[in-house]
Amino acid sequence: MPLLLRLLQVLSLLLLAGVVTAEHTSNWAVLVSTSRFWFNYRHLANVLSLYRTVKRLGIPDSQIILMLPDDMACNPRNAFPGTVYSNADRAVDLYGDNIEVDYRGYEVTVENFIRLLTDRLDEDVPRSKRLGSDAGSNVLVYMTGHGGDQFLKFQDAEEIGAWDLADAFGQMWEKKRYHELLFMIDTCQANTMYTHFYSPNIVATGSSELDQSSYSHHADNDVGVAVIDRWTYYVLEFLETQVTSANSKLNLGDLFDSYDMSKIHSQPGVRWDLFPGGEQEGRLRTVVDFFGNVQNVEVENVNATEPGSLKEDLAEIARLVEKWHKRDEEYSVVLGNSSQPRNKDMQSSSVHLSPKKTVGPTKMDEDSNWAKRLVGLSVLGLCTAIWLAGSILGRSVA
Amino acid sequence: MPAAIRNLRSDPQLLFVRLPNLLSLLCIVVGVVWLLLLPLNDYSRQTYISENALLPGQVHAYFTGSEQNIFRGYKKELEGLINEEREDGAQNPEVESTPAISNKIHSILQAAGLKVATQKYEYTSAGITHRGENVYGIIHAPRGDATEAIVLVAAWKTADDELNLNGVTLALTLARYFKRWSLWSKDIIFIFPPDSKTGTQAWIDAYHDLHPSSVQPLPLKSGALQGALVIEYPFDHRFKTLHIVYDGVNGQLPNLDLFNTAVAIAGGQMGIGANLQEMWQHDDSYEARLKTILRGMTKQGLGYATGAHSSFMPYHIDAITLQPKGEGWEDEMALGRTIESLCRSLNNLLEHLHQSFFFYLLMQSNRFVSIGTYLPSAMLLAGNFTIMAIALWMRTGYHSDPKLSGPTGSESSKLKSEKSSSPGTQKDVAETKTDGSAVAERVLALPLTLVSGLHLLGLVPLWIFNTIFHQYFTTVTYIFVAVDIVLPLLLAALLSNGLGISTPIVRQQYLLIKSFALLLLGLSLSTLATLNFSLAFMIGLLCTPLSFVVRLEGAAPLRYAISSLGLVLLNILSPPTVLIGICWYTGVPIETVLTQAAFGWDVWGMWTQVVVWCVWWPAWLIGCVLLGSSMF
Repeated sequence: MPLLLRLLQVLSLLLLAGVVTAEHTSNWAVLVSTSRFWFNYRHLANVLSLYRTVKRLGIPDSQIILMLPDDMACNPRNAFPGTVYSNADRAVDLYGDNIEVDYRGYEVTVENFIRLLTDRLDEDVPRSKRLGSDAGSNVLVYMTGHGGDQFLKFQDAEEIGAWDLADAFGQMWEKKRYHELLFMIDTCQANTMYTHFYSPNIVATGSSELDQSSYSHHADNDVGVAVIDRWTYYVLEFLETQVTSANSKLNLGDLFDSYDMSKIHSQPGVRWDLFPGGEQEGRLRTVVDFFGNVQNVEVENVNATEPGSLKEDLAEIARLVEKWHKRDEEYSVVLGNSSQPRNKDMQSSSVHLSPKKTVGPTKMDEDSNWAKRLVGLSVLGLCTAIWLAGSILGRSVA
Repeated sequence: MPAAIRNLRSDPQLLFVRLPNLLSLLCIVVGVVWLLLLPLNDYSRQTYISENALLPGQVHAYFTGSEQNIFRGYKKELEGLINEEREDGAQNPEVESTPAISNKIHSILQAAGLKVATQKYEYTSAGITHRGENVYGIIHAPRGDATEAIVLVAAWKTADDELNLNGVTLALTLARYFKRWSLWSKDIIFIFPPDSKTGTQAWIDAYHDLHPSSVQPLPLKSGALQGALVIEYPFDHRFKTLHIVYDGVNGQLPNLDLFNTAVAIAGGQMGIGANLQEMWQHDDSYEARLKTILRGMTKQGLGYATGAHSSFMPYHIDAITLQPKGEGWEDEMALGRTIESLCRSLNNLLEHLHQSFFFYLLMQSNRFVSIGTYLPSAMLLAGNFTIMAIALWMRTGYHSDPKLSGPTGSESSKLKSEKSSSPGTQKDVAETKTDGSAVAERVLALPLTLVSGLHLLGLVPLWIFNTIFHQYFTTVTYIFVAVDIVLPLLLAALLSNGLGISTPIVRQQYLLIKSFALLLLGLSLSTLATLNFSLAFMIGLLCTPLSFVVRLEGAAPLRYAISSLGLVLLNILSPPTVLIGICWYTGVPIETVLTQAAFGWDVWGMWTQVVVWCVWWPAWLIGCVLLGSSMF
């Protein structure tokens, strides 16, 4: 064991030598609409618009979790069956023919959403319904629906609280399920939803402050409902007109600076404090860090220092070995003086393995042998006496 | 203050006689003033759409242009039929629907691609037979699941018995137009009843399989009805505003959201003003608002069907009638677009209208008071009777008056003499108290029998007025006025002379009779107030004198004079006299009103008569008996 310990120490030293900057290795997007019913058409259109944008910037369907609680395209009230539009000009059919909805209808629940984030799913849940992110993944979480002070309504029956969401992200961090996370939410009093976040590396942004409503942008008079919300509309406008390719150098700072309260009609918010380096560092993250996709996969991320990296694992194992070793030492102290020389010997022989002590057959002690025989005899005699007495008594009774 | 309360408690005369009178009067005054305050801005509210799903006026209505040609074509066909009938010398061809017209409507609907069916029905009430045939067609929602439906009604005769030619034609045109849309989530049913009184009632009863044997069952049905719109357009010129009629049978109202949606679409999207309660000139002043409320209350209180939509209300189907009114520049296409937009809004519904109010008083197309605000008004009126009844009950439990309660023992009479000899001082308080709490046995048998008997007697006029032939209504009403004069005096005489079978009635029993009668009245009215506020308020107001009617005592000449005067006044407030008075004031023949009432009882399931004859009339009769007994 001491040899192993020494080996690990050497190895970790080697790893420390080559420290490089942290970079993410994959992108995931979780796009959630939480409201159903025809008059909430715009919430589904919001999400589908975002879905279209992240796909355009390169995130593949396999890395997008799309949650749609209702089917607007096939709603009988839809004047344009099979389509969903987020603009009255109806230039882009968001429902198209290449759309992959991962959670639909009544599958969109708070429980499923939290299970998805924290990966507490049954074994038989297919990959398409799992968030397969790891410690190197940048995750975009976009939510929209009807909300209030520190809650967001799911369907018509339940809601997710700001604490629930914070804990889910906290757990994701513990489980090394993201590298950096961008949280976006468009709902009434949206900014209250990210107030309780506590896990690091999160940038959060919402559409409206406490006690503020988020408004819809415009209605389509033929579809007969509002088709998109204001904040999402202007975020999309930025993404569609400025972030034209996956190589765009525009950063989050540019995106958040584009917020115009006179257009959005509510006060959008941004939270930087969980991000290492705060706003200054956060602003420098490019938009495509979250909306685009990277594929510079490293087989063993030997240089990384963040949780989940090999180096950290090794250091952790080294610490554990040290701990066990110490405990062993204490144990031997308790055992007494006789074992002390051996212990000393073990400590000194750090390079060599101590000779293995085999357990062989040993002779029984002579002294104790007689005593044992005596005990055996007396027990046997006692049993015979009981048997005899019993048989005599039994006969007399019979 | 504690001293004052102690004084009050120790003075039964004040506590049980004067105070209840004061409280009752206060309740009445506050109740009436409360109603008068409702039109003020502080007590009423702006209407708003509560149901998110409705989205009124968010869709373009495309009912224009070429549809107008279809409209003209259909109208010509129907006009041709009317002319043929006229040449054939049919009776009243201008208004009455005929089999030829039914067939025409049937064929037009069929040609438009609807599933069509007919239903014959027959009702008899007050010796009049109402016969007719409903034609109706169903558009099955192309992508819907046929579990819900919207109803459009165009009766051949409007609620005012005018020929609704444009309305029927418009409905036919809309049927053809709606059939071509693919966005319906609910089936749409077009009904063409021959008149506004009976047709929809027969249809809706049969739709829910609750029809009498004289009505045919429906061969064709759809899902649960979510809302109904009635189209009336009984003239040929262009119109200015839309009159929305919303009162249902027994004062039931449609969900306020439906009314608001209609107002929002007419006003906001189409630019057509909306009226209600025949208030053509509404300047939003206090007077106009109050007048609107009172008109609404009158209709609600009388509880009759104000249009073809009223029959839907008992089945909890929200319905309104749209009547174009005035001279303006809006044509049938504008009405058609309004209805199209309304149907699109109803089509958006995900569940039955339930978000907004079902109990409200409208004072303007965009202002209302809800039940929480107006209910105390009628409740206070009803409460005044209850307060009085309780006070009387308490009063009958004590020997407050030694002269009249009669000696029950030497001890009590001794106490009484003590009480009368030493009033006022602090020391006597305890004595008076013991005196006040000297329990008297209540003799309940006679008062209970009399009160319940007279309430059951109310079934007699109820039966008579709903059964006899319509030509006798006027005569019977006058007979009843006479009966109402004689019957109380007869009863009073019988009671005072002991009915020949028992000992003469004592004072306590008179008080008990009044107590029970008022208790029943108060109970009935406060219950009724939650169901039909207006009726409870009106009856409560007409019954207010009954709280203060007592058997008079004192010098004979004065007694006679006051009681005769009181009886005359009470007789003016008797149910038949009030009916005659109202008919004289409005110029409507008594026969018409009573025929309508009997029809309401037989066909619509109207309960107004029950309240009049089994709540109001017995209470009134007992009041008269009490007053009349002063004469004997």
